[in-house]
Amino acid sequence: MKNPIYGFCMVIFPIFVVYFFTSLMNNGLPTDMPVGVVDLDNTATTRSMIRHLDAFQTTKVVAEYNNVNEARQAIQENKIYAFLYIPRGTTDGLMTSSQPKISFYYSNVTLVAGSMLFRDLKTISSLGSASVGKTKLSSFGKTDDEIKTFLQPIAIDLHMIGNPWSNYNIYLSTVMVPGILMLFIFLLTPYSIGTELKFKRSKKWFAMAGNNPWIAITGKLLPQFMIFLTIFYIFEFYIYYILGFPHPGGVFTMLLLGFLAVVSAQGFGVFAFGLMPSLRMSMSICSLWAVVSFSTSGATYPAFSMNPIIQELTNLFPLRHYYMIYQINIFNGYPLMDAWFSISALILFALLPIFVMGNIKRAMLLYVYIP
Amino acid sequence: MEKNEGLLNKILNGLRDMCYIWAKEMRSTITDEGVLIFFILVPLGYPLLYSWIYNNEVVREVPVAIVDQSHSQTSREFIREVDASPDTKVAYYCNSIEEAKDLIGKQKVHGVLYFPKDFATKLFRSEQAHMSLYCDMSLMLTYKAIYQTAQTVASKINSNIQISKSKDYTNRDDEITTKPLDFVEVPIFNSTGGYGNAIIPGVLILILQQTLMLGIGLGAGTARESNRYKDLVPISRHYIGIFRIVLGKSMCYFMIYSIMAAYITMCVPRFFNYTMLASGIDLVGLMVPFLSSVIFFGMALSCLVRYRENVMLLVIFTSVPLLFMSGISWPQADIPGVWQAISYIFPSTFGIRGFLRISSMGGTLSDIQPEVTALWIQTIVYLFLTCAVYRFQINNTRKHAYDKIENLKKKAIEAKNKNKKTEE
Repeated sequence: MKNPIYGFCMVIFPIFVVYFFTSLMNNGLPTDMPVGVVDLDNTATTRSMIRHLDAFQTTKVVAEYNNVNEARQAIQENKIYAFLYIPRGTTDGLMTSSQPKISFYYSNVTLVAGSMLFRDLKTISSLGSASVGKTKLSSFGKTDDEIKTFLQPIAIDLHMIGNPWSNYNIYLSTVMVPGILMLFIFLLTPYSIGTELKFKRSKKWFAMAGNNPWIAITGKLLPQFMIFLTIFYIFEFYIYYILGFPHPGGVFTMLLLGFLAVVSAQGFGVFAFGLMPSLRMSMSICSLWAVVSFSTSGATYPAFSMNPIIQELTNLFPLRHYYMIYQINIFNGYPLMDAWFSISALILFALLPIFVMGNIKRAMLLYVYIP
Repeated sequence: MEKNEGLLNKILNGLRDMCYIWAKEMRSTITDEGVLIFFILVPLGYPLLYSWIYNNEVVREVPVAIVDQSHSQTSREFIREVDASPDTKVAYYCNSIEEAKDLIGKQKVHGVLYFPKDFATKLFRSEQAHMSLYCDMSLMLTYKAIYQTAQTVASKINSNIQISKSKDYTNRDDEITTKPLDFVEVPIFNSTGGYGNAIIPGVLILILQQTLMLGIGLGAGTARESNRYKDLVPISRHYIGIFRIVLGKSMCYFMIYSIMAAYITMCVPRFFNYTMLASGIDLVGLMVPFLSSVIFFGMALSCLVRYRENVMLLVIFTSVPLLFMSGISWPQADIPGVWQAISYIFPSTFGIRGFLRISSMGGTLSDIQPEVTALWIQTIVYLFLTCAVYRFQINNTRKHAYDKIENLKKKAIEAKNKNKKTEE
């Protein structure tokens, strides 16, 4: 444990990562994203529309452009994410009931920005219609209630279960951070076993354990397990109790999931090393596996939309099961039975070393490190 | 005259040594399995894997459960429309909210549409009818699909109700009544709103940077481990100048990665039909400074590496934070200042931003001038940093070699003295 890399990878980097993600998305939702305006009409009506747009939480009108081309160029230069185009004669058209047409342009290259601004711009455009209707109806002497009913006969009450703010911090940090913590476990497990081989300490190490690979491996990984589990629990305590992320699933589920995450990742690490008892190869496999698991977890892009072959392959990644258990049991608070498949999968990952113990023993006692 | 020749000779010698180091580095790249994996196999294979994962781009047919207690013509029309929409499908009919809730727990559906008993009654009474939409918020894309579909369907049915209630004569009258102000939605870039199209360009550039850094780091680790004094620079008459070492090595990396960059930025998007609007010249204009800054950045950092495996531990976990810092997922405008400042250290930040804008938005080199300038500045800064670090390393090597010789001399003298004593 003299190697400083352990301290860095087990304590300092994980804490850094936890802080990075939770502080990056501290706002929860992107606010005041830059939007441009091309207002060729320039009347009191259109100006009030723009002021309303600016007043939205997610939108901030930062610039006016003289034509659509300039605004498009501004998007390409990364100055704005979207713009509203109001052609000449819009107000006149509204007065004469000739159905004028406005447009809004938004860029989906940054998906979050695109969809948030799409919502704002669509709302402001529909409100334009609604305000005309409202003026007309109230001039007929209709009451506010009647007007509301006429403009929107069916209203949708939206219930966003568990995350009513559609907070991205809650949505992303709860999967990305455990993913990176598991990545560290993935890498450090074969690293710590493999370096024994590399520095020719493996025979001494196994002799201490009486040549029993179980004792040797358990003894080696137990301190790491304690430290990683502590870090995991600190992370869970931080997000659920200090930052107050929703957790109707309760304490037991959290503790269980933290435990399962650590042992399954360690099990996978030992298994990878046992399959290929070479430090470099097993670490390469583990790193590639860990990095792909961010995509295959299905936390950002849903797994059921992927290619059918990949849908099945996602089950080979511990992070996928972590995410399933997290969202079913902790985030939505359903009983553990609903996630039985993922729970047993994680237990299976933890048991994988059984198959390779003999291989590890042979490697430790016979093999020589090849760089 | 003589001095001039000397300078010319020096330059020629330097070039010769540079080529020697370049050839040697090439050879060690191909013979070192670890470096080979990260220099050749990963950049070739990983982009294909990622593209495959995201190739469906959009979320379609999200399963929704229905709790219809109204059993009216309007509610059934609503349900039919939701089922017919491309993004959603009606998977289950339930008798109560509790039943539907269980379906979410079992991951059979991702949302529930609830029509209360008085839904149609209220409509006929000319009151506002309310219906509820319950969304599972563990996936933003399914939430978006369900909510937007429900809204579209509702506004369509609403317009029909409006038309039936107003006393218009012509179809044109109906249009104006329901929509006095018409509007067009134009998704100007990434028009399908595809997830792959949004995320893959960033991932591609990041793969370039991370594999290059891993390869350089692993190479340096091997060089150090196989060296007798654990030094980065071997003792050889070819390794006497800083510039010839730095340029010789970087030339090797640059050659390999020119091909990789061309493959990743030009072939991969074509295989999977991603948006690719960049022209060849613009790509060269971006990738040359990007690759050089990554190479020098990697070389400067590689001096910190004691054991080759530590490189993996250091480089791999940064991938995800680096992707987020580039503003590809969380909008750049909303990244806190501290992280913005830290992100300026890494070439990937500017590389990804620049590449997105020329490949997905059809920008030109002049549109991404700030990014390209930043990359050139990074290149120069990291070049000098690398030279400084290598200078330190060379001095170390010399010191070690000198110590060794001194040691030998001392031993020789002692031995001599001993010999003398025994003779006496």
